[in-house]
Amino acid sequence: MPAAPETATIYAYQVGFGDCILVRFAYAGGALRHMLIDFGTTGLPEHAEKTQMLQVAQDIQGKVREGDPDRRLDVLVATHRHADHISGFATRDGVGSGDVIRALDPRFIVQPWTEAPEAPLDWEGPDASVTGQALRQRRASLQAMEDAAGTLVAFADAQAGHLPKALAEQLRFIGQDNLSNRSAIDNLRTMPGEKRYAYHGCDLGLASALPGMDVHVLGPPTLRQTDTIRKQRSSDPDEFWQLAPKRLNDALAIGDEGKLLFPNARHRLRSKPLLEHRWLQDRIDAANTEMLVGLVRALDAQMNNTSVILLLKAGSKTLLFPGDAQIENWAYALQSDMASLLDDVDLYKVGHHGSRNATPRSMWRRFTKKSDRSGPGRLTSVLSTKHGKHGSEDRKTEVPRRTLVTELDAQSNLYSTEALEPDALYQEVVLDLR
Amino acid sequence: MSEPPPTRKLTIIAKDPGLRLGPGGPMAFVEVSVPAEILAKGPTGYRIKVVDYNATERRTYLDQQEYQAGDGMLVDPFAPLPGETREDPAYQKRLLADPNFHAQNTYAIAMRTLGAFERALGRRVSWSSGGHQLHIAPHAFAQANAFYSEPDRALMFGYFFRQDGQPVFTCLSHDIVAHETAHALLDGLRSRFSEPSGPDQAAFHEGFADIVALLSIFSLKPVVAAAIGEDSRFVDADRTIRLVAVGKLTADAIRNSILLGVAREVGEALETGQRGALRRSVELTPEAAHLLHGEVEEHARGEILVAAMMNAFVELWSERIAELGRFAGDSYNLDAVVEEGAKLAGHLLNMAIRALDYCPPTDLDFGQYLSALLTADRELVPEDEWGYRTVIRTMFERYGIRPQGATCDAEGCWQRYPADGRLTYARSNYQAMTRSRDELFRFLWENRETLGLSPRAYSEVISIDPASRIGPDGIALHETVCQYVQRADLFGAEFKAVLGTERPEGMRSSDRYTAYGGGVVILDQYGRVKYHIANRLEDAERQLARAQYMVDTGQIGAPAAPDRLRFAALHQQRMGA
Repeated sequence: MPAAPETATIYAYQVGFGDCILVRFAYAGGALRHMLIDFGTTGLPEHAEKTQMLQVAQDIQGKVREGDPDRRLDVLVATHRHADHISGFATRDGVGSGDVIRALDPRFIVQPWTEAPEAPLDWEGPDASVTGQALRQRRASLQAMEDAAGTLVAFADAQAGHLPKALAEQLRFIGQDNLSNRSAIDNLRTMPGEKRYAYHGCDLGLASALPGMDVHVLGPPTLRQTDTIRKQRSSDPDEFWQLAPKRLNDALAIGDEGKLLFPNARHRLRSKPLLEHRWLQDRIDAANTEMLVGLVRALDAQMNNTSVILLLKAGSKTLLFPGDAQIENWAYALQSDMASLLDDVDLYKVGHHGSRNATPRSMWRRFTKKSDRSGPGRLTSVLSTKHGKHGSEDRKTEVPRRTLVTELDAQSNLYSTEALEPDALYQEVVLDLR
Repeated sequence: MSEPPPTRKLTIIAKDPGLRLGPGGPMAFVEVSVPAEILAKGPTGYRIKVVDYNATERRTYLDQQEYQAGDGMLVDPFAPLPGETREDPAYQKRLLADPNFHAQNTYAIAMRTLGAFERALGRRVSWSSGGHQLHIAPHAFAQANAFYSEPDRALMFGYFFRQDGQPVFTCLSHDIVAHETAHALLDGLRSRFSEPSGPDQAAFHEGFADIVALLSIFSLKPVVAAAIGEDSRFVDADRTIRLVAVGKLTADAIRNSILLGVAREVGEALETGQRGALRRSVELTPEAAHLLHGEVEEHARGEILVAAMMNAFVELWSERIAELGRFAGDSYNLDAVVEEGAKLAGHLLNMAIRALDYCPPTDLDFGQYLSALLTADRELVPEDEWGYRTVIRTMFERYGIRPQGATCDAEGCWQRYPADGRLTYARSNYQAMTRSRDELFRFLWENRETLGLSPRAYSEVISIDPASRIGPDGIALHETVCQYVQRADLFGAEFKAVLGTERPEGMRSSDRYTAYGGGVVILDQYGRVKYHIANRLEDAERQLARAQYMVDTGQIGAPAAPDRLRFAALHQQRMGA
């Protein structure tokens, strides 16, 4: 095995509510390798210029080509297709941020298996006989969420006057995050580098790009792998996923005169309620919205759970990049043989911008290097986030979750993009891998 | 004007529109009895108020029906017109297309379910929401869900569209309406059962509501007759006797065909199997149930309880059928078979509901419910002539549910409280104790040491209810059922000091935690303690198990589920969200 790199430098870029992490590995003798993990945002910081994403792209370009104008980006990882992870890959007449990244000619492009254009013949994931069908079904369900996202945004706008403000904002946010980012997806699809579609336990074959390192894929599980943790469950979530987008569209058809249940029934419109209906009417509206939000969140989480979870062993250190994986994605890894890899994590890129359910307790408990005292060998955590975009403090779903941040701060050396000065472009963390 | 009868008849759809009377036959509409009352528009009665508002269509359907004739006679607005029968396709189509019929369907099923509780307990039963009238919204929204919402004092039923565009109404499913009504009633009787606790308690709410829904269906005789199926018939003088082959009525055959037929439900139309609980419960084998004991998801875990109860029902029913006379050696009278099933289901339903009075008010587990079930039946029928209790105990045991050792007697029933003079009654007034929570609390407080109440916890009597029944000698007995709870709010660091055991792994010293204890005190007709059924606060083993479960399932420091959707028929969490 070639020699391991000596240092890893993590640049966590200021993209507000989003992720953009560049990792530079430096080898003895001066060789450099670069891995870019995600590049997207759904809410830049207030002070940021409109060109922030372009500036980030150019900075990445500068770092990759530092000292060698022909150096390529070695690995590009798009953990999943939410806008806050890929919007930066969008192109614009050759001068967009995605054009700049494309010009770095990435050698390998890693995406979750759900992005594979078709199920490959040597697919080791789901049962070979159902491979194609399973993949098509899963993709159709993800696609349907994208289709519904537009309706959702329109709904949140149209109902803004009727919905509680926080709810409307949340619906709009989730809608926008799921909106199809065609330009970014096309850019990723047509980049000339080698495509790698990741699933739990697969070998990505990145040895030539990241020499001297072990790259482990902890997630996402394939459908068959998911089934094994679901064997005791009494319902089939896949069926739910296939139906949910249609249900969402039906539920969003509020006030649609074309789909009346009883077109000829005598009725009173909501605007002119009878006395005896008033009290409950408002409450049914509220319940309807609450369930709508639940459905939307469930679909949104499904997309998060396609996230690639990468664990890198480089020299003496272990680095963990989990994208936005939530507990259902983690569940398979945590009960697999690979779970013990988590014990040695030195650097944790905090999942899902610091939401509570993306840092499962059972994972956190495994980290042996967390400590309430600073000193050598202590866990480092890197958080890319922005307050006030997602979730609500009342429901204890705010992102980042306050209690989690407190714990990260107490138990690790925490670097957060929120702590950056207004003119700073990134957090820089250097790890000695020797 | 004649005296109005005590009950009124209303038409409902039996089971749901998917049930057919014979292959390709008509849907099953039946007439049921509900308490008589002069209904207002809605319909709105003394316990139910239907408000047919549709949030998706943003409109309310108006009630166009007359429930009383001019002469005060009670009317079933959806009775067949002269010359029509309930099997006529035109009649059935007309009802299904009328939102007012859907409203009546929910009203009648909810009232019947309430009636079953009140009959079993011999007293009025309140909705947990506190109001007298429970709202029902039969077409609340275009979402595939239905639930009881305590804060809204309402049952909300959604609808959804099948792939072919046809609407499916949850309000037309007897099972779903009865299930959600049962939640509203159980939550009223045992309000603490919806608190976070061990795995059994949340599962109990689901399992119990399913048991109520399933057993109530057996009183709808045409449904059961259709599920069994008629094999032949003969005419005897002026009546027709329908026959069913002996082979169809063994315990296995009943389980595998009839019960499944009855349990088949809207879940199938939901296209997702999400509400397939009844069906799965019936199919659940004891071996598979052992796996479910490790399941934390309450709907799934609740299936164990349903399976145990329904298998006891099947066993008992087949025994009773075997006692019936046979025709031509190989057939039974179908209607007699159905009648036996209805009687038995009614008895078990009574028992299941009466058992609630004998359940501790906090941290219930399935074994304790079994003891409550057996005790409730023994109190009513001291001699187990039909072997009900033996069969129930055997079936529950097969599904891994056993009475708890020390507090139960050899029959698995709760031990009576010993009348050995250890309790002080001197400063309590019996009459006042049956009415005043303060007076009863005084009695408990004075005897706190003997009864094992923690003096440090906050304690409260939460209910005093009369329970009347006819004793074995035919004389009416009046007892009093009182519930008290204790709670201790503590930090993880205080766990050992307060609860007597190390805090569970994963609980931090700064985690907030509420421990509960509590009991039911049943006073006999002389005001003496007959039963004291309690989960004590200072029970280290139980508290540790509960706390460990809550840590493992992320219920400590985690956001509470929104109240409104606590009893949602479909939980998105279980869908992998």
